[in-house]
Amino acid sequence: MEILPYGENGLRLVFGSEITLETHALVRRAYLYLRAAGLAGVTDIIPSFTTCLLVFDGGRTSFEKLAGAVRERRGEMAGAGLGEPKTHEIPVTYGGEFGPDMDTVCAYSGLTEEEVVECHTSAVYTVFAVGFLPGFPYLGPLDKKLFVPRLDAPRVKVPEGSVAIAQLQTGIYTFDSPGGWRIIGRTHIRPFDPERPPYSLFAMGDQVRFVSA
Amino acid sequence: MDAAIEVVNPGWLSLVVDAGRSGFAHMGVPSSSALDGLAFAALNRLLENAPGTAALEVFGTEFALRFSGDVTVAVTGARTTAFLDGAQVEPWAAFDAKAGSTLRVAQVLEGFRYYVGFSGTMELPPVMGSRSTNLECTFGGLAGRPLVKGDRIALAGCRRVARRSVPASHIPAMGPPHVLHLLDGPEKELFTADSFDKFCNIEKNLWYSVSAKSNRTGIRLQGEPLSFARAEKGGIVSEGLLPGTVQVPPDGAPIIVLFEKTMGGYARAGIVASADLDRLAHLRPKDRVMFDRVSPGEAAELSNARGSYVSSLYKNIGG
Repeated sequence: MEILPYGENGLRLVFGSEITLETHALVRRAYLYLRAAGLAGVTDIIPSFTTCLLVFDGGRTSFEKLAGAVRERRGEMAGAGLGEPKTHEIPVTYGGEFGPDMDTVCAYSGLTEEEVVECHTSAVYTVFAVGFLPGFPYLGPLDKKLFVPRLDAPRVKVPEGSVAIAQLQTGIYTFDSPGGWRIIGRTHIRPFDPERPPYSLFAMGDQVRFVSA
Repeated sequence: MDAAIEVVNPGWLSLVVDAGRSGFAHMGVPSSSALDGLAFAALNRLLENAPGTAALEVFGTEFALRFSGDVTVAVTGARTTAFLDGAQVEPWAAFDAKAGSTLRVAQVLEGFRYYVGFSGTMELPPVMGSRSTNLECTFGGLAGRPLVKGDRIALAGCRRVARRSVPASHIPAMGPPHVLHLLDGPEKELFTADSFDKFCNIEKNLWYSVSAKSNRTGIRLQGEPLSFARAEKGGIVSEGLLPGTVQVPPDGAPIIVLFEKTMGGYARAGIVASADLDRLAHLRPKDRVMFDRVSPGEAAELSNARGSYVSSLYKNIGG
């Protein structure tokens, strides 16, 4: 684990450079531990694929103090429990008007629509990070057979609930938004509700399986 | 006292904002706070409001607001020429508005975004602890959208307050050219040394121009693109983002990230020093921007100087 400054109010904990389940486990352990530890002056912790970003109030702590506090807890952090992740089943209507890129994905992969659906629904995905949009789960790893590049020019509006893939990831658009991933279906599940705690259905580390509706 | 505001003309864009959402970044929820934090904080001091009381963030002229009920009002941020029923009101100063009076902003003299606040609380439900508008996801503020003509917002707990003001000499500079002090970003090494140096060495006199495509999410800059050292063009594994970060997509044109994103996957060349963050609210399309690379020590000095200036400004407001 490397501890690096980022601007005047950020401290990055860097656990690797590649998206792997091993690195993910290290990030998640650090995130859960540090969130529970409630270090003084830390206002937000943003865990992602390979790093944890601690955002701090410079009036209450400093990079040096915080780095020291993290180093002191290194041993404890490495031994912290991970807890049982939640598992979610997400019903998806694949193809047709809800999956405008299904034909492209079929052409790219050489699979039929049934095979694409079979492939997408047969894996259990890990939530590597939540971001891009509130509640948006970055899910992976996706089967290499479904590898498609992002769109060259992102769509101006991807509808809320769209289930999409890009490279070795899959995700669910939680709001109408611009987006460059390939849309293969849609779910009626609303994974984020700003009016209702706990707001986000998905947390980092959760397990997700898609089922064909 | 009960009062309300009614939007007669929303200007080019007006939004309800406050100090923003904190503590939800791990679920992708950004701050959406007022972009000029000092103008917003000063506004609430002028009005003797609790810190963080929601206000309107506006840009463009023609903005007009009618008051039903007596309320004390102030306008901070961009320097404006504004009138209350034809009588000019001072910028960065509290003034009393009587029921039925109308505030009109005729001109913006310096800066871009201005803040209109009231000696009362807008009766809007906080969403995730804040009344700030998240425009992209349409929540917070008034139904998650910009204000439109005819919108009416009730104000609770209105009271008359002393007519405090910030002396003209203390109103911050907001006009171009904008020289932004810049700390090295985490992916500085992804750029060629020459290109990076040119980008943020003030001696090289390289100016960027603010693109008309800029918005509350990011300020897009036009000018000489940065060059990547390798063919992969600096795509990184997405990770946490801080406001003020200068992200560089594959086309090399820098984007300054504001308060609407928690994660990003473009190379981060630098991050604007905290002392200059409020100025980002005032970068208008076509304004000239230059970056001036600083060390962490220099950024800390700038931050201390800014802190002294802010304290002295607050002292002038009194209260």
